[in-house]
Amino acid sequence: MTTASPALGQETVAEPARWRRWLPTPKMLILGMVGLAIGYLALVPLYYLLWGTFFDGNGVTFGGFERAYGHSQILPLIGNSLWFAIGAAVLSLVVGTSLAYLNVRTDVPFKALFFAASIVPLIIPGILYTISWIFLASPDIGLINRLIEPVFGSGAIDIFTIWGMVWVEGLHLSPIVFLLMVAAFRSMDPSLEESALMSGATRWQVFRKVTVPLTRPAIVASILIMVVRSLESFEVPALLGLQNGIYVFTSRIYFVLRSYPPDFGAAGALAVGLLVLALIGVAMANIVGKSGKNFQTVTGKGFRPRPMELGKWRPVMGVAIVLYFILTVIAPLVVLLYTSLLKFYTAPSWDVFKTMTLDNYRELAGMSKAMTALQNSLALGLGSATLVMAFMAIAAWIVVRSRIRGRHLLDQLAFVPLVIPGLVLGLALSFVYLRSPIPIYGTLFILLIAYVTRYMPYGMRYAVISMHQISNELEESAQVSGASWWQTFRRVLLPLLAPGLLAGWVYILVVSFRELSSSILLYSPGNEVLSILIFEQFEDGEFTVLSALGVVMVLTLILLVSIAYKLGAKVGLNRN
Amino acid sequence: MRNRTVATVIASSAIGLLLAACGGPPGSGGGGADGSSEAEKHAQQVYDKINGLSGQERTDELVRLAEEEGELSIYTSNSDMDDLVKGFEDAYDIKVSVYRGNSESVLQRVLQEQSAGFHGVDTVETNALELNVLNKEGFLAPYESELRDQVREEGQAENWTASRFNVFVIGWNTKLVKPGEEPKTLEELADPKWKGKVSLELSDVDWFAAMVKYYEDQGMSEAEIVELFKKISSNSKVVKGHTVQGELLSAGQFSVAASLYSHTVDKAAEAGAPVSWHPSSGKPVEPIVLRPNGIGLMKTAQNPAAAMLFVDWELREEGQQVFADKFRIGSMPSDSDPLEGLEAVEVPESELLDNGKKWDDLYAEVVKGGEEVSGG
Repeated sequence: MTTASPALGQETVAEPARWRRWLPTPKMLILGMVGLAIGYLALVPLYYLLWGTFFDGNGVTFGGFERAYGHSQILPLIGNSLWFAIGAAVLSLVVGTSLAYLNVRTDVPFKALFFAASIVPLIIPGILYTISWIFLASPDIGLINRLIEPVFGSGAIDIFTIWGMVWVEGLHLSPIVFLLMVAAFRSMDPSLEESALMSGATRWQVFRKVTVPLTRPAIVASILIMVVRSLESFEVPALLGLQNGIYVFTSRIYFVLRSYPPDFGAAGALAVGLLVLALIGVAMANIVGKSGKNFQTVTGKGFRPRPMELGKWRPVMGVAIVLYFILTVIAPLVVLLYTSLLKFYTAPSWDVFKTMTLDNYRELAGMSKAMTALQNSLALGLGSATLVMAFMAIAAWIVVRSRIRGRHLLDQLAFVPLVIPGLVLGLALSFVYLRSPIPIYGTLFILLIAYVTRYMPYGMRYAVISMHQISNELEESAQVSGASWWQTFRRVLLPLLAPGLLAGWVYILVVSFRELSSSILLYSPGNEVLSILIFEQFEDGEFTVLSALGVVMVLTLILLVSIAYKLGAKVGLNRN
Repeated sequence: MRNRTVATVIASSAIGLLLAACGGPPGSGGGGADGSSEAEKHAQQVYDKINGLSGQERTDELVRLAEEEGELSIYTSNSDMDDLVKGFEDAYDIKVSVYRGNSESVLQRVLQEQSAGFHGVDTVETNALELNVLNKEGFLAPYESELRDQVREEGQAENWTASRFNVFVIGWNTKLVKPGEEPKTLEELADPKWKGKVSLELSDVDWFAAMVKYYEDQGMSEAEIVELFKKISSNSKVVKGHTVQGELLSAGQFSVAASLYSHTVDKAAEAGAPVSWHPSSGKPVEPIVLRPNGIGLMKTAQNPAAAMLFVDWELREEGQQVFADKFRIGSMPSDSDPLEGLEAVEVPESELLDNGKKWDDLYAEVVKGGEEVSGG
């Protein structure tokens, strides 16, 4: 596996003498390289952000904080934000965890549906997913409302409320939790639950007292990512909240970055607020994970995951899953597909069906940039997903296993990019690489660096959680048998980490197709990516072409992820 | 483990490297312009030469020089650029590369590149506000031609030239607003009968500023004007983005949009959507608001002649026809002027450039005015 990144070459030559004197072993070289890469990737944008926040032309300033927080309506804004973020986090946690549990640990029917349910909401660009929901559940034009009108009266469901925002954001984010929890449940020895059952506990008690506590690191990480993500999100609040005047914290970031000159001080101050919150979260996650052996469910004893029988609940769960699948996948996808066949959106009727055409797809096929963009997005998605997971597997070892001082700082650093606004990341990278002697600016590599930076936090969480579950004794026995550190890592740890690493890889691959906020500043002619194309169609008002593009993206990525899972199963990554 | 901790190694070397790479703090801007003088001198010579010529002589010399350069780099936020470039490449032996983003990222990219002494762009085609910023920073070179002299007066800006106008109009859904019931004025939308049926857009500060100026000229006080907009806002659903606004208008999520682009409405109507800004009888709602979009030449252009030739192209009939085909309003007056006889006001660009924050805050306050009334 290659771990060379363009940024890396620099550091290793920077201080060769020191490394040789103090850290001569290959192990320390690898660890050092990974540590440096993470530090470099995180600190460049952080330094840029903090500089813009705390310094102006004249010296240190806190004006940004005053402009960001010293606003008469800041408290309601924060209130709305917290309500929205916590609601979305709870919803995605409940939905993602339940689905993951049912999928991995029980004999629930329709398991094939899980796969699509876990991926599709991630693939559909946020703006299309949200607008699909407007077409479904607006009190004025929503199709669902029209369906249930005879029973519940007109406008029974209103998507333009804080509950609607929680619903859409929660569903859109639930795949992250699903992927995290599937990995956690796969690595869990079911004998623990079985013993509890045999000792007379009910299934609910087992779930509450045994299952949940064992996966606590994964749950904490999920909450952490979800809350931060929803606090940052502006797409859903802008499209659903504004209609009824529901403003959130991030609308401030939008306003201060939009005007000229952009108020980077205030934007930075808001990001610093998020940063503090996120760092406390990471520290908490580490404390939870620290309770040591409690979560190490992958031990020297082998186990056969045996699905739990749901008994009389099986049909009930089956119905629940089909319903969930219809709501989160089928309904928005059908709206998307339907819109992609029209010239402009209009509510379905027989007349409309007669006018349907494939023109939008034809237009897409005629776009010269479409193929290049697809290739570039694929290369960047595969590249950044592989690089991030490879680096983070080693970084997770440093954080969880090593006794190196300052290892938790590495964890914190890897989490930093999550709170850095995409535009600021783009500016920081162009600032550095416009002045770098290595010709990276204007190539695809600068986008790769941006993507690796942006997705590092997710990769780290996926890898750390998996590492928490693996018992030391496996490594120790390998080392006792004479294996080197690298052999142990490659032959023992990597295969055991595989479910978590694959989940993280899939996540990064899928969401990288949507990255726009830093790509738009950093791409160059010829290096277009799909998200740029989406942006252009959107700006041109080509909403129906955009829907067609969304459908194509969903199909492409489903195919790709299926292949990844099939290959994964072949080399024994997938234990089910 | 070792007496050196991971933390210090990471922190010290990364910061060291970063500082070495930057050679100074970000945001200090300026600098880096060494060595640009050469490029700047060359571009200036070409600009001066062509600006000094006229008629066929100018055209011939410009084409010769431009084809000698053979390349052109455009940064733009113009959504019709693909069609313009296609015609240009067919007409001349010049290879064009286009960076397209929203107007904010076009501006930020040029600012970043210029401050690093990187000359990636020959000509910038974007909105008035961003072009004015570039001009204020001293990055733009004058463009003179007989074509420019014919551009509508509003479009002959300092060091850049309008190629087209965005026109803000009041549009409605023709299924929800029956013939004869269309709004006649913007003030009418403050009437309670439009409650929940109007839509405002979150970032239309320029439209707002233009209308405020218009009402001031009508003799209203600022307090009265703000009060009026707050009333309209309390009848409104606020959306972000004109594409979303247009799509939701034709879907019937609201009946009237107070600040739509005319081309959004015309294009949707052409596809058959039930939207219009022309009432069944009489004139559209006046005044309409004009905002120029234009093109400027970079002082540091690597291909100055090709850049000038492209500005010519946009203003010539071929270029203007591309805009007309997309229902846009070109900057050259034509026989079939879609704005003929309509009262138009301009966006007060220089006011927005100088007092941007004030207008942003005021509009944000107005838009949020809807909150108390329609919230919950």
